[in-house]
Amino acid sequence: MTFFMVSALVFTLSAADAVKRFTVGFDANFPPYGYVENGEYRGFDLDLAREVAKRNNWQIVLKPINWDAKDSELNSGMIDCIWNGFTINGRENSYTWSDPYVVNEQVVIVKDDSPLRKLADLKGKKVAVQTDTPVQKALKKGGERYDLGRTLSELVVVPDYNNAVMMLEAGSVDAIAMDIGVAKEKSKKGGLLILDEIVMSENYGIGFRKGDTKLRDIVQNTLLEMIDDGTAARISARYFDGKNVVALGRIKSAVSEDANVSGAGFWDNAGVVTLELLKGLLVSMAIFFLTLLFALPLGLLVACFRMSGNFLLRNFFRIFISVMRGTPLMLQLLVWFFGPYYLFGIQLSKLSLFGIDYRFIAVIIGFSLNYAAYFAEIYRAGISSIPRGQYEAACVLGYTRSQTFFRIVLPQVVKRILPPVTNEVITLVKDTSLAFSLAVLEMFTIAKQIASASSTMLPFIIAGVFYYLFNFIVAGVMSAIEKKLNYYR
Amino acid sequence: MDILSINNLSKSFRQQQVLRDISFTVKQGEVIAVIGPSGSGKTTLLRCAAMLENADGGSIDLGGISVVESGKYADKASLKSARTKCGMVFQNFNLFPHMLVLDNIIDAPVHVLGIPRQEAVREALALLGKMEMQEYVNAYPCELSGGQQQRVAIARALALHPEILFFDEPTSALDPELTNGVLRVIRALAEEDMTMVIVTHEMDFAEKVADRIIFMADGMVVEDGPAAEVIHNPANERTKAFIAGLKSGF
Ligand SMILES: Nc1ncnc2c1ncn2[C@@H]1O[C@H](COP(=O)(O)OP(=O)(O)OP(=O)(O)O)[C@@H](O)[C@H]1O
Ligand SMILES: [Mg+2]
Repeated sequence: MTFFMVSALVFTLSAADAVKRFTVGFDANFPPYGYVENGEYRGFDLDLAREVAKRNNWQIVLKPINWDAKDSELNSGMIDCIWNGFTINGRENSYTWSDPYVVNEQVVIVKDDSPLRKLADLKGKKVAVQTDTPVQKALKKGGERYDLGRTLSELVVVPDYNNAVMMLEAGSVDAIAMDIGVAKEKSKKGGLLILDEIVMSENYGIGFRKGDTKLRDIVQNTLLEMIDDGTAARISARYFDGKNVVALGRIKSAVSEDANVSGAGFWDNAGVVTLELLKGLLVSMAIFFLTLLFALPLGLLVACFRMSGNFLLRNFFRIFISVMRGTPLMLQLLVWFFGPYYLFGIQLSKLSLFGIDYRFIAVIIGFSLNYAAYFAEIYRAGISSIPRGQYEAACVLGYTRSQTFFRIVLPQVVKRILPPVTNEVITLVKDTSLAFSLAVLEMFTIAKQIASASSTMLPFIIAGVFYYLFNFIVAGVMSAIEKKLNYYR
Repeated sequence: MDILSINNLSKSFRQQQVLRDISFTVKQGEVIAVIGPSGSGKTTLLRCAAMLENADGGSIDLGGISVVESGKYADKASLKSARTKCGMVFQNFNLFPHMLVLDNIIDAPVHVLGIPRQEAVREALALLGKMEMQEYVNAYPCELSGGQQQRVAIARALALHPEILFFDEPTSALDPELTNGVLRVIRALAEEDMTMVIVTHEMDFAEKVADRIIFMADGMVVEDGPAAEVIHNPANERTKAFIAGLKSGF
């Protein structure tokens, strides 16, 4: 079934773009450069990118990506560039870079009631950094600021800044080393202090696929034009309170005092957060129901093959089940999404089926196959628990093999496997959040985005309540079905 | 006319030979009781005759169709039509637990034979009446006693109009007070000239109902004769010892 979907996708390849598409990859958890507000992507870098696209008559596509997968996204052609307050320092040779357009400082923030005031005070302290950021690399062994990093008691690597701020407030780290733009944004809500002494200074550039100088040159020239005619300064003013930070070709200090992003205040409203999360919940539910729709019958088919008399078939599906159950679902999702490119060189990024992004399709394929494997083992246990006498009675009565299966065996199997199936279904509700690894906008992904724009736990708490309610209803429905099937034995 | 004719039948499970050179015939309307010690191969014999088990050698003719000839099985179509000639009643009933009593009986006639539902229901009700089970049409098997379940199982087998019915110890899974109802309906079938082969340990019942008794031991037919003769005047020493053992009351 899912294989069929993939092949259907390949056919839509030819429906390529009449207008060139310019796909910008960014981390939607990185205000003020790229973030979500009111359900829309906003940010300094995104506005620059929009204007560049407009001037070249390109159709812009803004793709929030999972930061850990950025290189795969770029190399497989899912995105054309990474434009995201993206630091050049330390990555000089990994991308084809534009000239630096912003110079940025890496600073340290602490709680304002903390005695720490200088970098030297950090000796023996715990400092948090975001994963795969230049400041993390710099503080690590071999990095340019290892002289500072080695004095720390621990360098705590966290998935995003929001996490780091929560840890700081909770006292589980003493300081955070981060980008000054983000630091200003985070410290606005009070209680946090930015140390005067900077850790290092770094340059932001636009990262293109290695060797893609053609696109780089077009984008860079357009950006230069925008600087010359003042457009870049106007965009900068929207996010940095009237001050021009763009420094393409003329490096100068980047972020003004009082960086101003309206995000934090906006998201304080629980009603708005709930509304956004509800939109994500719809996507989570779509993943849930589509997975069940495909995985339940597929599992039965896999179980039948697994029990087949044919040696090859039986063992192929034995291995299939073992791999599906033996590797993390998140990894499988990445394989379904990036695999077509790395294995066959097919760029599915530009594809869509009935207007559905391949990201979502990869999630459904990954979930369906993974859950089919789990369901298959449940079916198999159920089928082999049916006494032989049932088959023999059916045989003597003249039932064909398929009649025996569908009229006698399956109805009894359904009743027997309901409890373990209920367990899997409840796990599935929670597993839908793994779709964040492909940056599909389900509830957990959105909660993460809002949380990093507003530095609160609120979206996670509301999302948790929604997951719980969803499961509460699912458990209720399953137990109602169980009761209904209790009419015998 | 012979409904069932078995010649030189043999069957092994791995190294162990369970049936050796078995031959006998069953005529239309005849009732045959098969007796013998545990492990002598009675169940295996019935299962071969009902095509639940494949014989290694010999021949079986069922209702005029050659099922197996010198150890070679016939084509699928012949086997399928031979299948409709026989019915089987199991020691532990094997009713379908998820179906009502009525559905247990009409499901095969409707879905295997293609008989219209209404007609199948009419006949099922008549059969349940004969089995003294008419009140339980809309019960589930789990709501019935063992004896009642076995009578439903007999009705289910009869609903397909088999030419011969095999019973494998139909009462041995039942409490003693429940066996009578089942034995009574089997007797009633015998009086209607239903052809039957019954594996049983109930000697009194065998004597009253069976025309002939076959005594098996070690996978062989040791004695085959009129019921009264085999019980009261057995020719073979092993038969004598077996019947004496039963009478002394194990
Ligand atoms: N499926 C099987 N696999 C291996 N051996 C079997 C199988 N079925 C039966 N046997 C063996 O065949 C022999 C005959 O078994 P069978 O069940 O036919 O005996 P029986 O006469 O019906 O005994 P009982 O009176 O205890 O029911 C026994 O030794 C038994 O262990
Ligand atoms: Mg037996």
